Amino acid sequence: MKTILSSDTMDIPDGVKIKVKAKVIEVEGPRGKLSRNFKHLNLDFQLITDEATGKKKLKIDAWFGSRKTTAAIRTALSHVTNLINGVTKGYRYKMRFVYAHFPINASITNSATAIEIRNFLGEKRVRKVDMLEGVSVIRSEKVKDELVLEGNDIELVSRSAALINQKCHVKNKDIRKFLDGIYVSEKGTIAEEE
Amino acid sequence: MPFKRYVEIGRVALVNYGKEYGKLVVIVDVIDQNRALVDAPDMVRSQMNFKRLSLTDIKIDIKRVPKKKTLIAAMEAADVKGKWEKSSWGRKLIVQKRRASLNDFDRFKLMLAKIKRAGVVRQELAKLKKETAA
Repeated sequence: MKTILSSDTMDIPDGVKIKVKAKVIEVEGPRGKLSRNFKHLNLDFQLITDEATGKKKLKIDAWFGSRKTTAAIRTALSHVTNLINGVTKGYRYKMRFVYAHFPINASITNSATAIEIRNFLGEKRVRKVDMLEGVSVIRSEKVKDELVLEGNDIELVSRSAALINQKCHVKNKDIRKFLDGIYVSEKGTIAEEE
Repeated sequence: MPFKRYVEIGRVALVNYGKEYGKLVVIVDVIDQNRALVDAPDMVRSQMNFKRLSLTDIKIDIKRVPKKKTLIAAMEAADVKGKWEKSSWGRKLIVQKRRASLNDFDRFKLMLAKIKRAGVVRQELAKLKKETAA
């Protein structure tokens, strides 16, 4: 059945400038600018100012929507929340090297935008992974065998982490026994919460 | 950008298809997702699909399914006819109807009037051109 109108709103914190035009959302904050295109969704986006408190809100409407379009309202809001968090707090993903015998040798090249992985499982093959735009990777000091990926856009940071992980898959072996690889150990933000 | 004309009881709409083409009607009840009960002072109350209606900006204050007398009184109080004829949409429809009902002599008179107006405009334009050239 078609639900005549389903809508949802979200608060926009102060300190973030948001622009909505033709289903393209642009968010600007202390850490930079991010934009996202929602033209594949059939939803109405509008910015309203709440009368009671005077804060800005983002309202999303779905007119005569099926179950799936109604579900897309909240996912769109979550994407915008991620944009806002990225632009205010940033995203930091930590990955750990896991190896049983052959130490994984990783060197950061290109001023923190690419990583080279050697000696994975003793292989001679050098794996090179380029980070996506806006994502930087560094080897953490103090913690042994850790990589820290930082960036504003959660999609790009998490996808870069996945690219590193996928380059270090074990082939033709029992993966329950050969547990080597580089795995995501922590997903967090750059700015610390008090 | 958000919608301003909603389907509600009292919304005035223009019929854009069917036997009642071109009539202004009032939505007095909503039957289901696709159909409404509409009423006008000069027609029997009947159901219509929303696709046959074009919503206008005018809305009158009535309760659900009023009697014909109350409906006519509410339409007079809100001056639906006057507001419609003053609105740009209403004026355009009136002009279209007048143009469609011209006979050949009227069209001849219209042609002479257009030529005369264009002549006056061209004279003024020539005057302004001479001033800027000088």
